Amino acid sequence: MIKKELICVICPNGCQLQADIQEGEQPAVTDVTGNLCDKGPEWARQEIVNPMRTIASSVLVEDGDFPMVSVRTDAPISLKSIFDVMGEIKAVRLNAPVKIRDIIIAKVAGLPCNIIATRNVQKVKSLNQ
Amino acid sequence: MHTLKRDLVIIGGGPAGLAAAVAARESGCDNVLLIERDRRLGGILNQCIHDGFGLHQFGEALTGPEYAQRFIDRLNSLSIETMLGTIVLSMDRDRILHVSSRKGFSRIEAGAVILSMGCRERTAGAISIPGTRPAGIYTAGAAQNFINLQNIMVGKKVVILGSGDIGMIMARRMTLEGSKVEAVFEILPYASGLPRNIQQCLNDYGIPLYLSTSVINIHGKERLTGVTVAQIGQERKPVPGTERHVECDTLLLSVGLIPENELSRGPDIQLEVKTNGANVDDTFMTSIPGIFSCGNVLHVHDLVDHVSDEATKVGQFAAAYLKGDIEIPESYINIKPGKGVGYVLPQRISGDRDFVLSLRVSEPCRDKAVLVRDGDKKVKRKKMVRLHPAEMIRIPVRVDKLGDARSLEVCVE
Amino acid sequence: MSDQFDVLIIGAGVVGNAIARELSRYRLNIGVLEKEQDVGMGTSSRNSGVIHSGIHYKPGTLRARLDVKGNSLMQDLCRELKVKVDYIGKLTVAFDESDVKTLERLKEQGEANGVPGLEMLDADQMRKKQPDVGGIKALWSPSTGIICPYGLTIALAENATSNGAKFILGQDVSSIQQNGQGFVVRTANGNAFTTRVLINAAGLFSDHICEMLGINEYRIYPCRGEYLILDKRLKVRLSVLVYPAPGHGGAGLGIHLTNTVDGNILIGPSNEYIDDRDDYASTAAVTDQLKKEGHELLPGLSISDFIRSFSGIRPKQTSPQEGGFKDFVIESRRDIPGFINLVGIESPGLTSAPAIALMVRDMVEERLPLVKKDIFIAERQARVGTFSELSPEEKADLVADDPDYGEVVCRCEQITKREILDAIQNPMGNRTILGIKYRARAMMGRCQGGFCLPRIVEILEKEFGYRPEDFILNRPDSRLFAGRVR
Repeated sequence: MIKKELICVICPNGCQLQADIQEGEQPAVTDVTGNLCDKGPEWARQEIVNPMRTIASSVLVEDGDFPMVSVRTDAPISLKSIFDVMGEIKAVRLNAPVKIRDIIIAKVAGLPCNIIATRNVQKVKSLNQ
Repeated sequence: MHTLKRDLVIIGGGPAGLAAAVAARESGCDNVLLIERDRRLGGILNQCIHDGFGLHQFGEALTGPEYAQRFIDRLNSLSIETMLGTIVLSMDRDRILHVSSRKGFSRIEAGAVILSMGCRERTAGAISIPGTRPAGIYTAGAAQNFINLQNIMVGKKVVILGSGDIGMIMARRMTLEGSKVEAVFEILPYASGLPRNIQQCLNDYGIPLYLSTSVINIHGKERLTGVTVAQIGQERKPVPGTERHVECDTLLLSVGLIPENELSRGPDIQLEVKTNGANVDDTFMTSIPGIFSCGNVLHVHDLVDHVSDEATKVGQFAAAYLKGDIEIPESYINIKPGKGVGYVLPQRISGDRDFVLSLRVSEPCRDKAVLVRDGDKKVKRKKMVRLHPAEMIRIPVRVDKLGDARSLEVCVE
Repeated sequence: MSDQFDVLIIGAGVVGNAIARELSRYRLNIGVLEKEQDVGMGTSSRNSGVIHSGIHYKPGTLRARLDVKGNSLMQDLCRELKVKVDYIGKLTVAFDESDVKTLERLKEQGEANGVPGLEMLDADQMRKKQPDVGGIKALWSPSTGIICPYGLTIALAENATSNGAKFILGQDVSSIQQNGQGFVVRTANGNAFTTRVLINAAGLFSDHICEMLGINEYRIYPCRGEYLILDKRLKVRLSVLVYPAPGHGGAGLGIHLTNTVDGNILIGPSNEYIDDRDDYASTAAVTDQLKKEGHELLPGLSISDFIRSFSGIRPKQTSPQEGGFKDFVIESRRDIPGFINLVGIESPGLTSAPAIALMVRDMVEERLPLVKKDIFIAERQARVGTFSELSPEEKADLVADDPDYGEVVCRCEQITKREILDAIQNPMGNRTILGIKYRARAMMGRCQGGFCLPRIVEILEKEFGYRPEDFILNRPDSRLFAGRVR
């Protein structure tokens, strides 16, 4: 059994939590202390067993007024799947125009999460046209 | 030279300027002009592609560009006049501005002005890092601009000086794009950014954070080859024997933001040393009648939601001022930062209306209270579990609680 | 590329360029070899920018003679080249009686050198020139001025180029042979140039050039001087230069403050013999010392007033043990006919440059016929100063005529796109970031390029087709970027 310290990020109180963890293939959280409200222990469990994150990145766009469109996950994904998701994001090439909230990759890396555009990219005439 | 007259001119079309413009128009000011030097609105939000913006304003975790677009859409629906690609080169006490763009150089007479120019980053030169000046040294924001807006990668092996949020955000960004971030060094004994970012930008990727440590030498004649770091002890001096060399080709600096108040010097607007921003009253008016200030140019914020709140109020006050509804009082009640408080804003209040104090503590602490007092008399007290210089604290104060206070102090107890 | 010259100058610093410009009046095939990617990358750009009056030099020396002559030529030269110069004058201040004796000696020495207008001032008269200056008496030298040292160096090169001189950059001279008619000069990248007359103006490396010809009697001892640059908006304005009397109370570096002609204030320089003549690093010890002495001279300085530090390296001929100064070496070698050798041109090399050029011209005339060209373009096509220094009406006219003047790229110094484009399209063909910086004055303000560098990069990319690997700071391997993100 090991103890791990975490700072909860749900609200500005930033409670310093201490979690007791049963190690093994599937780590289990047996106890959490230091929380001022009852959201803390659930967050700590999730954070230790399977931390979830949202990420933002960029996708190449041809003929746009920006060279890349900024994108993000529209739902949290597990920390360990981040680099798989990045791999798919890096492979995409789009053509302008792109609109905010356009789905760039649906169900990225097989996860229940889409990669969506976060800015508008207008089409501009490139020098080659 | 072309001369224009406008009732309200807002300088800077980032989050502060956008919210102020919308609020001023919605408060009945029809003659609003928003001037922005970039070719698009949004300010620094355009390059902040990470999320975390808008939790308070919209109940969603948006990215910078999305947050900006919400306000841009409102601005467009209100048909507010904008001048893009236009820079204000000078301003005087009578609110005469000289502006320049590709379309021409003009003179603008403004009934009122809102300063919302944002801030710039502190540089390597300003903090006098010894050593050579090779290529590969960037402020974190400049690197963010290259990476997020221009599709240019700045380097492969990165050291970051300064644990501010922008430094940590860039640590994650560069890692996700395949660069190796060796470490983040912070001269203070505590991180200056949010704990969420320490976890999600550094710990998640195994990037070490070294506190009480700084870069004391830069190496490389052409491109950066490495830095020397050392622990920093008394009087900000390196502790002998703790020096070590870190190989890298890129040094990112996240060592502070400075409100961009160069325009404010023209009319001799009174600036505060502690904030590098204007001294304002409870309508956010500066020491010059009719010139207001809000957003990062007034004081550096950590949450854009607060910027929008503050700027919305300023837009409303500016519109009221133009209608003649704001009386500049004969005397003000001064508000001073006391023990444990780095700064508090507004620095003076009229006593005519309720107000919200914005402040930062000078050191991290836990289980304390922020006290607003008039001598021994308590005006407002807010208990807090966690207080940190990185997180602005806002305390609403009702003016009927002031009694006959002539001055107030805000302190930590 | 042409490789045969009548006159070949090694070193495109202020001295080499002044010589090239002077010689370009004549029908000569002139070449200038420069090892860096731009002119003036050595000592010429890295100094206080002071035009010295000539009071400090021993009468009869070249330093004395050439400084006073160069000083008198500088104003007309700057008018032709469109370079900012300002003869603001200097107070050399005495704090006690022994200082006063020093000043009297300096005045005599200056007068013997032909320095005009020298006057001893009492305390009241001093403070009329510079309010709140300390001291009991001062020597006033009205012919002391300030100039933009890299501006002059670049302008000389551009004007020489307009008059047919060929500047060949990135040429590191590796060997020199005599071949009967003159010299064959080979460079590290495999080029060979022939010339009838060879001029060594290689500054910090002039002793290396000497050795290539078997001349072993000279040695350069690099001596670094560090400076701090202060923000333009400091309310304390120095109207004139103020120096303490030489030898006055020894502690510290004898730091003084210098106005630059662009409105910044320099603190420095320091004095430190170093081993590596290419080591421009700033050091913590000297920076701290400069700040400490800067605070004494300007109480109330804050961290946000410091823009950056820089350093220059003096090509001294005296060793650390000897100290002091040796006179300029400017000689037409009898043992190596056709070789004109300049060694150890440290201060007052900048001021002396126009006079050195005339002296070297006379030496060239001993070897080659000098026939004046029918057309010599004396005036450089350029503007003195920046757009930001014009009146609003002048600005409005320029913008109406050319929208590129309306687009401000460098916000801190208010440098416009037109000025950036002019800098990029410079006659030297230099395309480095520092080349743009020194020509346009971009990236020199308080944000140090934080705002404007991304915009300059965008201009170079969109309008000149630059890719990320094309951006270099100053030397070939000083790449700014590591490719694309996508």
